[in-house]
Amino acid sequence: MTIPTASRPPKPSQRAKHIATGLVVLVVAAAVLTVDVQIERLPDLPGALVRIFGRMFLEPGPEWAYLPDAFGSMLESIQIAWLGTIIGAVLSLPLGFFGAKNITSRLVSNIIRQLLNVIRAVPEILVAVVVFIPMVGLGAYPGMLAIGVHSIGTLGKLSAEVIEGIDTGPVEAARAAGGRPLQIQRWGVLPQVLPEIVAFWLYRFEINIRASAILGAVGAGGVGEALVQSLVFRRYDRAGMVVIVVIVVTILIDTASGWLRRRIIEGGGGTSRADLEQPELVEVDAVAIQRP
Amino acid sequence: MIRFDSASVTYPGGVHALKNVTLEIPDGQMMVIVGLSGAGKSTLIRAINGLVPLSDGDVTIDGVSVRHAKPKQLREIRSRIGMIFQTFNLVNRTTVLNNVLMGRLHDAGTMRSLLAWYKPEDVEIAMLALERVGIVEKAYVRASNLSGGQQQRVGIARALAQQPKIILADEPVASLDPPTSHVVMRDLQRINRELNMTTIINLHFLDLAKVYGERIIGMRAGELVYDGTGAEADENVFRDIYGRSLTADDMLGEAAAAG
Amino acid sequence: MTAATAPRSARPSRPHRSLVGPLALLVFAAITWWAASDEFGLNFDVPRLFTNLTRGAGILAEFWPPDFSVLPRTVDPLLETIQMAVIASVIGCAVALPVAFLASRVTSPNIVAYIVDRSVLSVVRSLPDVLYALIFVAALSIGPLPGILALILFNISVVAKLLSETVDGVDQGPIEAARATGANRLLTVRWAVLPQVLPNYVAYSLYAFELNIRASAVLGIVGAGGIGNLINETRRFFQYDKLMVVVIEILILVIIVEWISIWLRRKLV
Repeated sequence: MTIPTASRPPKPSQRAKHIATGLVVLVVAAAVLTVDVQIERLPDLPGALVRIFGRMFLEPGPEWAYLPDAFGSMLESIQIAWLGTIIGAVLSLPLGFFGAKNITSRLVSNIIRQLLNVIRAVPEILVAVVVFIPMVGLGAYPGMLAIGVHSIGTLGKLSAEVIEGIDTGPVEAARAAGGRPLQIQRWGVLPQVLPEIVAFWLYRFEINIRASAILGAVGAGGVGEALVQSLVFRRYDRAGMVVIVVIVVTILIDTASGWLRRRIIEGGGGTSRADLEQPELVEVDAVAIQRP
Repeated sequence: MIRFDSASVTYPGGVHALKNVTLEIPDGQMMVIVGLSGAGKSTLIRAINGLVPLSDGDVTIDGVSVRHAKPKQLREIRSRIGMIFQTFNLVNRTTVLNNVLMGRLHDAGTMRSLLAWYKPEDVEIAMLALERVGIVEKAYVRASNLSGGQQQRVGIARALAQQPKIILADEPVASLDPPTSHVVMRDLQRINRELNMTTIINLHFLDLAKVYGERIIGMRAGELVYDGTGAEADENVFRDIYGRSLTADDMLGEAAAAG
Repeated sequence: MTAATAPRSARPSRPHRSLVGPLALLVFAAITWWAASDEFGLNFDVPRLFTNLTRGAGILAEFWPPDFSVLPRTVDPLLETIQMAVIASVIGCAVALPVAFLASRVTSPNIVAYIVDRSVLSVVRSLPDVLYALIFVAALSIGPLPGILALILFNISVVAKLLSETVDGVDQGPIEAARATGANRLLTVRWAVLPQVLPNYVAYSLYAFELNIRASAVLGIVGAGGIGNLINETRRFFQYDKLMVVVIEILILVIIVEWISIWLRRKLV
């Protein structure tokens, strides 16, 4: 049996790939060469890091007497995140409805979505520092408000997407039964989207815990402030204690919230985006990564 | 020569996939294994290259024990055994050539393979393998853009690129249509004859087994129940192996030796 | 007997209403009360909130119109922000690759490495970037270096987690094929796993870069370099109209990077 002799194909040009790689290398090189970091000091880097981590966790190690205070600050951060998330959730729900093109018109929903995008683009810390702290002073309030406002952006966008993805059957049924617009929303749309949206609220809460810890660093209360204070006064033992508290509590809340989210989604029937893509617990629109 | 010595495999759940199998496969033989799903065909074939570890007994290749081989030794043994899978197991996102070059990974060395910095000789071997199965013109095509039959031929090329002494094929044509199945089986037959390569094939189409199997092994519930030539194997033999009467699903149909 | 009627089946008794719903609501209300109370919580009070806000609203007027004379001073810090994000992204995404492979049962060499890696990842992820920056600023001095380090850690934690979950879901067929050719674990990962997850890896890296830009814009507030420094300076002197310019610049930067990232991700998919 003869094998038909086909000629070997030429190797395809890799020009596009090479150009892209070249560009990236160029940009990176430019960044590395121009950044204001003293190269001579780089070898000292590991030593300095080891020293501070040593002071925080090994010798003298975390100050266990500080535990109640550190824990109290963490609780304050949790409270800030909790209330902030509620504000964000409550205000984002109607915006989510208005931002869904199958509920309102294309034009209206687009405008709302753009508005939400702008809100999302501003980091919470900026909202706090720039808007709310000047307005209401330092403390927990501006932190809570900043978190609330920023959450409206993300939660609004996610809610709108969930609503756009609904099954139209129940909505038609509600309309056919003669329901008024608000009733249609309440009975036709809401039951379908509620589990997924509530899951997003929970996971936003997880993220907001971190946000509120950050906001403390600029004086908006909570555990961030405790950390700043201890570092400023070089009480590294206290700083170590604070870090331990943050890590432990955050992991606990993440685990509990993750479990709860999965239960809600399963209870609501089926898997959701939140579960399938297992959203990263930082500023993430999980859906947005897979389908930009 | 491949030798099974009272080889047994018991899976963690308690399933006895292989029970006391003793078997000798001389070099250059084309052997077909038949049996129902779960009868132990896959386990038997994977015991040869150690993908399934033995619970008892041993498998030796030219006297070297597979069961007691250390990891590095095992990799060496595997590099001399090419394997073809029912679902092709190609890396869909990359080119045909890169898939075939996977057969050179062991011999080309870790550093070169990591950076895809293959020596010309290795690329040549891959190209020759592609020519032997007749699809070299698709070398730079993405694997997922090929038809089922073409993908399986890439799988065969990948195995050939290893320059192996043994070829294992686990239901190589189960996902293919009848004409393509014959093309692939004939390719395997040709490779067995021209390169004198021991070829062991799992099949569940009995008519194919009869035509292409120089030697047929029947497995039932983990035990070796038949060992004979393709000529001797008739309906009664198969019925014994299967433990039930045969159905249309057991045949490929369409003129068992087309062309 | 009259015409056959369908046999009446006994009406089912009402299933016990699950307690879960009301219980959850109760817990929710309790936590909210606790968070808002003045005894334990933040003393949240809607009327007071409004009075505070209306009183503070006057300040907002000072932000407008923005004072663009500060523009030249913003150029260097802005560049520094971008530099920090680029360097941290490259190093972070590179390191995230092996970390991700160790964190997936599919590619991790043994159970010890797997558990250690996942635990470390959990711990690292639970500290937000700014807190890392604070520590690093205390350890080194102010400037972009602590910011870059903080971003690298943040970057690794994001990308490694996402990537490890993708790796968990790969098609194992090619992996079996690679093992069958006698390839070692490293090569198997390189040729059977990596090609499958490469598009995702690139998407996650681009996404991480977006996050890095956002984060690096604000790290300067705690002294870790970038345009955040300028925020502190202008704030200190109550120069809100200049601060507005900085905010606008950050907004534009973040939005542009987001557009580019989304465009690139679409092209690659």
